[in-house]
Amino acid sequence: MKISTRQVLFFLACVAPVGKLILLPARLAEAAGNDLLFPFAMHYLLQAGAVFCALLLAKRGMNFSELLANTFGKIAAKVFMNIYALFLFFAALLPLLEQKLLVQSVFYDTLPSLVSFSPFFLFAAFIASKPLASSGQVCDLLAPIAIAGLAGIFILSAGSADLAALSPAFASGAKGILTAFRNGFGWFYDAAFILPFLGTFDYKKHLALKGTLCYLAGGAAVILFAGIFYGIFQETATNQLFAFTATSKFFSGISTLGRIDYLFIFLLSLVMAFYCALPLQAGVECLLQAYGRRRYLPTIFSVAVCAALLVVSQCTDYRFTEVLGAVGKQLFWIFPLFSVLVPALMLLLRRKRREIP
Amino acid sequence: MKFRKFLHTLPMKIYLILAAIVVFAFFSNDFGLVDIQKTAIILAAGIDKTENGFSVTAQIAVPKGSDRTTGGTSSVEIEAEGETVSDCISLIFAKTGWVPKLVFCDLIVIGEAAAKGEDIISHLNYFLRNDYMPDSCLLAVCEGKAGELISSASAIDDASSLAIEKLFSDAAQKSGMVAVSTLKDFAIGYYGVSESGFLPYIRMTEQQGGQSAGGDSESGGGSGANGGEESQKVYSAEETALFKKGKMVALLSREETFAFSLLRGKVFSGTLNATDGEKAVTLTVVRNKGGVALKMNNAPTAELSLSLTLRLCCRGVSASISDIASDSVSPEILGNVKQLLTEHVEKLWTTAKDAGCDLFMLQRTLYRRSLKEYAKWKDALLPAVRPLPKIELKSMK
Amino acid sequence: MKHVTGDLEKTKDALKKLLPAEDILTFGFAAQRIGFVCVFADPITDKDLLGEQVIRALLSYDGPPSAAEIAKRLTSPETKIEPALENLAAEVLAGNPVLLFEGMDAGIVVGTKKVFTRAIAEPSTDVAVKGPREGFIEDVKTNTSLVRRRFKTGELRIETVEIGRRSKTNVAICWLEGTTPAATVEEVKKKLSEIDIDIIPDSSYLTHFLSTRPYSLVKQVGTTEKPDIFAAKIAEGRLGLLVDGSPIALTLPYMLIEDFQSSEDYFVPPYRASFTRILRLLALVVAIYLPAFYVSAQLYKLQLFPVKLLLTIAGSIRDIPFSPSLEMLLVLFVLEVLNEASIRMPKYVGMALSVVGALVLGETAVSAGFVSTPAIIIIAFSGIGLYAVPNLIEQTSVLRLAMLLIAGSIGPYGVILATAFLLVYLVTTVNFGVPLVAPFAPFARRELKDSLVKFNLGSLKIRPNVLKSPNKRRLK
Repeated sequence: MKISTRQVLFFLACVAPVGKLILLPARLAEAAGNDLLFPFAMHYLLQAGAVFCALLLAKRGMNFSELLANTFGKIAAKVFMNIYALFLFFAALLPLLEQKLLVQSVFYDTLPSLVSFSPFFLFAAFIASKPLASSGQVCDLLAPIAIAGLAGIFILSAGSADLAALSPAFASGAKGILTAFRNGFGWFYDAAFILPFLGTFDYKKHLALKGTLCYLAGGAAVILFAGIFYGIFQETATNQLFAFTATSKFFSGISTLGRIDYLFIFLLSLVMAFYCALPLQAGVECLLQAYGRRRYLPTIFSVAVCAALLVVSQCTDYRFTEVLGAVGKQLFWIFPLFSVLVPALMLLLRRKRREIP
Repeated sequence: MKFRKFLHTLPMKIYLILAAIVVFAFFSNDFGLVDIQKTAIILAAGIDKTENGFSVTAQIAVPKGSDRTTGGTSSVEIEAEGETVSDCISLIFAKTGWVPKLVFCDLIVIGEAAAKGEDIISHLNYFLRNDYMPDSCLLAVCEGKAGELISSASAIDDASSLAIEKLFSDAAQKSGMVAVSTLKDFAIGYYGVSESGFLPYIRMTEQQGGQSAGGDSESGGGSGANGGEESQKVYSAEETALFKKGKMVALLSREETFAFSLLRGKVFSGTLNATDGEKAVTLTVVRNKGGVALKMNNAPTAELSLSLTLRLCCRGVSASISDIASDSVSPEILGNVKQLLTEHVEKLWTTAKDAGCDLFMLQRTLYRRSLKEYAKWKDALLPAVRPLPKIELKSMK
Repeated sequence: MKHVTGDLEKTKDALKKLLPAEDILTFGFAAQRIGFVCVFADPITDKDLLGEQVIRALLSYDGPPSAAEIAKRLTSPETKIEPALENLAAEVLAGNPVLLFEGMDAGIVVGTKKVFTRAIAEPSTDVAVKGPREGFIEDVKTNTSLVRRRFKTGELRIETVEIGRRSKTNVAICWLEGTTPAATVEEVKKKLSEIDIDIIPDSSYLTHFLSTRPYSLVKQVGTTEKPDIFAAKIAEGRLGLLVDGSPIALTLPYMLIEDFQSSEDYFVPPYRASFTRILRLLALVVAIYLPAFYVSAQLYKLQLFPVKLLLTIAGSIRDIPFSPSLEMLLVLFVLEVLNEASIRMPKYVGMALSVVGALVLGETAVSAGFVSTPAIIIIAFSGIGLYAVPNLIEQTSVLRLAMLLIAGSIGPYGVILATAFLLVYLVTTVNFGVPLVAPFAPFARRELKDSLVKFNLGSLKIRPNVLKSPNKRRLK
């Protein structure tokens, strides 16, 4: 079954932005302060370029491993697919850990045990074992859910924001903006999702352009949210770890109706659960493209990967700050390497299909 | 073959195992969760400074039971002393056996001595760090000890905190009688370039002719609890405490607080008294626009602009029905009001300036406008700014 | 396969051997020159008609012993000459007597079946205030006539197949030639022909064989008791199945949105129809999730309640001996028992049950401190909500229980993840090439016009694309 181009666009416009609403705004505000919109915009422009390249590759009618094998041969393709899968599993770690923190802090008043978040790994294994088309289909439902969630949060939050707090521009200087830019790399690798999906959707009229515009539209929503977030918390924004859950509680109706904003927070969390599982599914797909799609292989790969990540998430339970520091300071280059450089360089690969021995 | 069969039936087996785990967890229900019955729902906290650290008085809501026939909220106040606020909260847990939950804490009151003595962020940082603490929580300073205020019996409501929160309602803010601040607002002011903020100042007075407290407000087992009967109290928060770098540096009077509210443009139904000749008149503020504009032309000036639409709502003399029907605010009254408001605004400015409190966030305004200018003026700005009150009054009707 | 021989006694004995049951009777009579034997199933044969149309007609027969000639003399409009003994036996069991006679190598089947039917009445599960009130009954012929009445066109095809080794149940496959995709018709026929089961007592048996995921929690075959809905679905490009002995007709392919649509929606203004459809969805969501979120909030996330409500709830449950989750499960269990009992209980006991349910179990349980008032309110509301979409009760009540168990054990995030599972499950369920949650996933903007929101009939010009009907245009 194929994914329709509409589903790809829905993913880029509605699902991808949701992953940037938890820790990222506070993380960028930490280094860039009121200039946090600049690193956001820089990342979005960079990724939009990468998304454009990745979508252009769909024109060739080959999947990720076929594209590589067409130029470098099967063995090289297999090696690269393994490396790319590893990258995707590594990239999945950060959203997964932030989701875990979010769940423990926002969904439970008191710190619960392992029980609360471990079901996520079951879900992730379930998703990862499904064909990619199922994720495409889910995007059709996730898009309106994400839009409703975001719109609700925007409506409840906008009135409390003082957007003047975003000025003066460049107060944190180039250093602050660039540091924030560097710190944010761990959250921007959406173009990397597209590569394993190549071959499951057809290139239709101006898909690359439409996809890029959709991605930028989603980015605009995130940037607007980041603006509102900073407008509400200003100098204390750094302390607000779970951005999208924090901005709406100042809505005047909350005192009488209770936390109605949780309805929207739940909707966005539902979308986030998919967003966090997606790199795992994409990674498993890379492995399947490398090793063939035998009957039980998807289940075996997905269960193994999720079990490994469950262990990692338990080991890093109280070391999230260290993980964040490592991703932000030492390992940040991995993300643009795989999500920007790889799609861009892949445009240089052989265009015509050749017989592979 | 067997392995294949095993793999084929594996999903169903997994589903069954998962269902069994869920059912087990459901019925055992004991993996560290703290449900509603094990929880102390803290409605408000009062923080005072002690010799060795802090004293926190928590007002904990007590459910009334299913057989209750009347509404309201009963509460119990528990006090604990410790080296940090967190320590005190832990001691409250130790004293009651209920896990303290701050998610419903809507009011933090700081004792005057604690507010004047040192940077109150040392009192508040526990709440700022706590993910479960709503930063929309109201913050206030009180005369005397916060513990006593929280433990007092209110003449208005079952719980003192609920009575105090009424003083900070939207309607009260619109009247201009109170300047409300939340934990988030105060933290923004504190961590911002102005390093200033304000909190409402609560006074507690005995209810004249009031009855002794009994009712639903139970006296707690903490050291701050007053056993037996106690006189009922009423509260007022018409004054405003000013803060610089987290320390209380001045207190705005009732009139200054009103002028401050007017300058913030928040008053929509407040009243103000003036004179018409010898007689007193009361005017309602029907429309209020206010703002403080910083101008850096030659010398820095702060344009304190106020635009009010007033309606006469009461005269201290008898009048015929036609007078009542056609009465309006005369130019003379408007003149008097203008003079009065100018005095209040100037006084407000002087109080804040003398205390070093950037109440109008002028430093922040300059910072946002021009980094260059800000770097030039920075700390010198406040003493250098000249106030320029611009008051425009209109009569309605 | 054995055939009828010219020897009447031998044939009779062979047939009797195949049909040894005591209610299979034989009746011999002689015309002018020929001896006849009539074999029939006593309870299901119309003996008056048999006497009138067969015996009386043949008493004076003095023609040749030819089946064709004899058949001409019969006054019954339904006659068939059948040489195979097994087929004759099957006809006897279907209620059609078999006429055998000396010197003849085939039997004559006479259609004098006795049909016990109830009157056509409004189905109790699908009541419409406005719109047609007739409902299907247990007789497939009556049901096909109800359908035929709505299509005065030769394009309506009704093909009857027999399913069930022993029951030989007649199943009428109904479709509109040129509108229902041929592939769907073929696939259904193929699936039906592959069914090898002894009896089919009801149409629900067939759903198992027609579903892609037989163990699925969600429905995969549409059901209706109303001929107007059945006809409308066929007109959209679906295929319908009428099963003898069952008043519930099946329609294929099924989309989840069908159960949010009521026949009445098409007889009221579109804005009212849209409002009620959205209301049904909301009611269903509330019914499934409300008990779960109530328990989650109490156990894990008190903030979901406003403080005043929280204190009221805390007051109510203070003396309850059970944990919030167990309390809710208990109340839900009571509701399900009451529900089950009230459906099957004789009507005259119904009143007593209401009193016991509402007063004894409800009021007294609260007074005795077994359960709290909010728990009863939540479950009552959830119970009512479930009936907003009556066709999905079986599925949604299971989902509600599952969500409650998850909420009590894992908390709100567990409920969110369970919802995520459910979404994936729903979007990946495809039956006869039609996704279950179409037109939402895959999203089809045009087809939303008759989904949760209903547009004016004038704008529903095209048949749902997702059904792949070769005849796209409905309205010209």
